[in-house]
Amino acid sequence: MGGNSPCASCKLLRRRCARDCIFAPYFPSDDPQKFAIVHKVFGSSNVSKMLQELPVQQRADAVSSLVYEANARVTDPVYGCVGAISYLQSQVSELQMQLAVAQAEILCIQMQNVPVVLPANSEMHDLPNYLNFTSSGNVIHRDHSQKRENIFGHDLVS
Amino acid sequence: MISGRCAACKSQRRKCPSDCIFSPYFPPNDPQRFACVHRIYGCSNVGKMLQQMPVQMRAQAVDTLYMEARWRIEDPVYGCVKLISQLHQNLNDTESELAKVKALIAFHKLQISQVNELHQPDLDASQSNVEQFQFNYSTQNHYPWFIN
Repeated sequence: MGGNSPCASCKLLRRRCARDCIFAPYFPSDDPQKFAIVHKVFGSSNVSKMLQELPVQQRADAVSSLVYEANARVTDPVYGCVGAISYLQSQVSELQMQLAVAQAEILCIQMQNVPVVLPANSEMHDLPNYLNFTSSGNVIHRDHSQKRENIFGHDLVS
Repeated sequence: MISGRCAACKSQRRKCPSDCIFSPYFPPNDPQRFACVHRIYGCSNVGKMLQQMPVQMRAQAVDTLYMEARWRIEDPVYGCVKLISQLHQNLNDTESELAKVKALIAFHKLQISQVNELHQPDLDASQSNVEQFQFNYSTQNHYPWFIN
């Protein structure tokens, strides 16, 4: 607020802090670094214009995002926020790939657990005993497929 | 040369010197590019930023400044920070999903090993016991409590 204590922006710009100073609510005098970094990247007149074009209730969020972007740009003068976006996108892609692999693995496990229904004439000698069902295996097979839909309420394979 | 002015010097209505810092990155045939960057950052701030970095990095820097400026013009409140926030959320969601699926895999593997142990000791036992076990396993809800 104006009056006795100028806001951080008016202190930095060395001017009188008016009562209706547009910066005062968002750049308190106890945090000079916040305005300094925004001023360095965007410039005070650009920030002032941006804030004036916004409804009052959105200005706090706008200042927060400007401070975030300014910090990113000072930290990384070449890539700024775009560097962070690129990094996050690659992390998301990597995790999605891992998720796809895990989902495929679980599908394999489930398929291995599903009893195999074989025609009556097929050779069953080489099969493990627990896969060597008789025709009554049909009932079990149907139950397995129904249960798969019930357990996983959503489609695992995207 | 008036006709050879870069977009920055045209916009600023000044002569474009031969060593103009903007001219390699703001060609005259793309005035929108400089207009966006100038609107958000201001000409002198961009000039200072470019001067402070090696020449070989400037093209990339201008590209990213342009991208961020466009995001900010499209969304004056959040700019590109909204996208960053969404990406963080995606990351968290995917991590949670992966953890769930991995837990399910571990559970399945445990179940399989238990079935194998059950089957292993007595190969001559009637296979209906194993079938019955699997039948019960498939028809009842034996999944861990944390799987939704």
